[in-house]
Amino acid sequence: MPTFDSKKIAHAHREVHAHLPSDPALRVKALESLLVEKGLVASETIDNWIELYSERIGPMRGARLVARSWTDPAFRDRLLSDAGQVVKDYGYQGHATEHLKAVENTPGVHNLVVCTLCSCYPFSILGMSPIWYRSAAYRARAVKEPRVVLHEFGVTLPEDVGVRVWDSTAELRYLVIPERPKGTEGWDEDHLAAIVTRDSMIGTQRDLSVEPA
Amino acid sequence: MDGPQDLGGKEDFGPIDVASPDFRHDWERRQWALSKLCPVPGITIDWFRHGLENMPPAVYLSVPYFKKWNANEMALGLDAGVYSLSELVSGHAKDPADPAPVQSVDALEDRQRALARSFAVEADTQPLFRVGDRVTTAARPTEGHSRLPAYARAATGTVTHHHGAHLFADAGARGEHIGHHLYTVEFAAPDLWTGADPRDTVRIDLWEPCLDRA
Repeated sequence: MPTFDSKKIAHAHREVHAHLPSDPALRVKALESLLVEKGLVASETIDNWIELYSERIGPMRGARLVARSWTDPAFRDRLLSDAGQVVKDYGYQGHATEHLKAVENTPGVHNLVVCTLCSCYPFSILGMSPIWYRSAAYRARAVKEPRVVLHEFGVTLPEDVGVRVWDSTAELRYLVIPERPKGTEGWDEDHLAAIVTRDSMIGTQRDLSVEPA
Repeated sequence: MDGPQDLGGKEDFGPIDVASPDFRHDWERRQWALSKLCPVPGITIDWFRHGLENMPPAVYLSVPYFKKWNANEMALGLDAGVYSLSELVSGHAKDPADPAPVQSVDALEDRQRALARSFAVEADTQPLFRVGDRVTTAARPTEGHSRLPAYARAATGTVTHHHGAHLFADAGARGEHIGHHLYTVEFAAPDLWTGADPRDTVRIDLWEPCLDRA
């Protein structure tokens, strides 16, 4: 059992730092071989987990929810009021989406999601987070200078748009619903889902292109 | 605690690598999988996070993300007695066990679904605040784990949502399961940062013990 003792875990970290090789590839190899020998995991299971996330779980899931929210007003209301349940209805439940909250961009509001304290992310509907989302630069800057951050992503907001930054400090996770772009009238859900990007669902992109992402 | 993880508003980290991929190295993928497949028995998500917060600060700020996770898994495993330091250094078990069965991608898809977990709990008190109330956050850091970012200490904002009671992170890091009312609080950016744009706001999810009526 864990000790749940801050001083003890800090000590354990100092031991790891002092005695393990610096090269992270060697460290991960050491941990994997030890856990395999202890019968706690098989290396093939690790391969399969990686395959699961590269093939089946990713931003295409979030994109489906966004696309349907553009065409089905009753669904949009449900998504905005209880995204956790919608995720279950789609069979997308899993890592970090139990308390999912969908937030909509409007002509006057742009939503931007960050986790300044760690790297909370709605994995089971967006897949693995991009490195920049987990980086110190994004975590430090998104709350303080969101407009400068957005500019680095190529986003310039119109004069009358306020930025609403969501810092994921509890177990709620956030999904941004971008605005439906002009020129997509009459498109079906599959066609719409193909233009919804991961970054638009985090909030580091505002205007979607009508070309597939 | 005032730990290195509390990055909101810290300066001089430079530009964001906006085109970065999800992973750069195979070891990053494998560490991610190891952390999800072999969590240290008995941990809470809050103890996992508190582990990261207790890395030597200079290390926390200088190593790649999944090297932090790797160090944290190692430290959490040592702390819980899953293995010894000499086993870790050698990468070999003192007393090897029977191999674990291989789980297929389909089986792991079910396992991923089963990671869904509710943090909502029955509230045994009435909420102190309502949507629209003005609240002020705690001024000083607490001991141990906290999810009140330093940049939002002693700040006044408006409650925008009440989420019922959720397991309180500070207690979870001590291995305790205690619920408190959880709120989303909106802060005007100029109430957090000097010279901030008055059009902008920051919303933070905070438990009742972090808040007082303004």
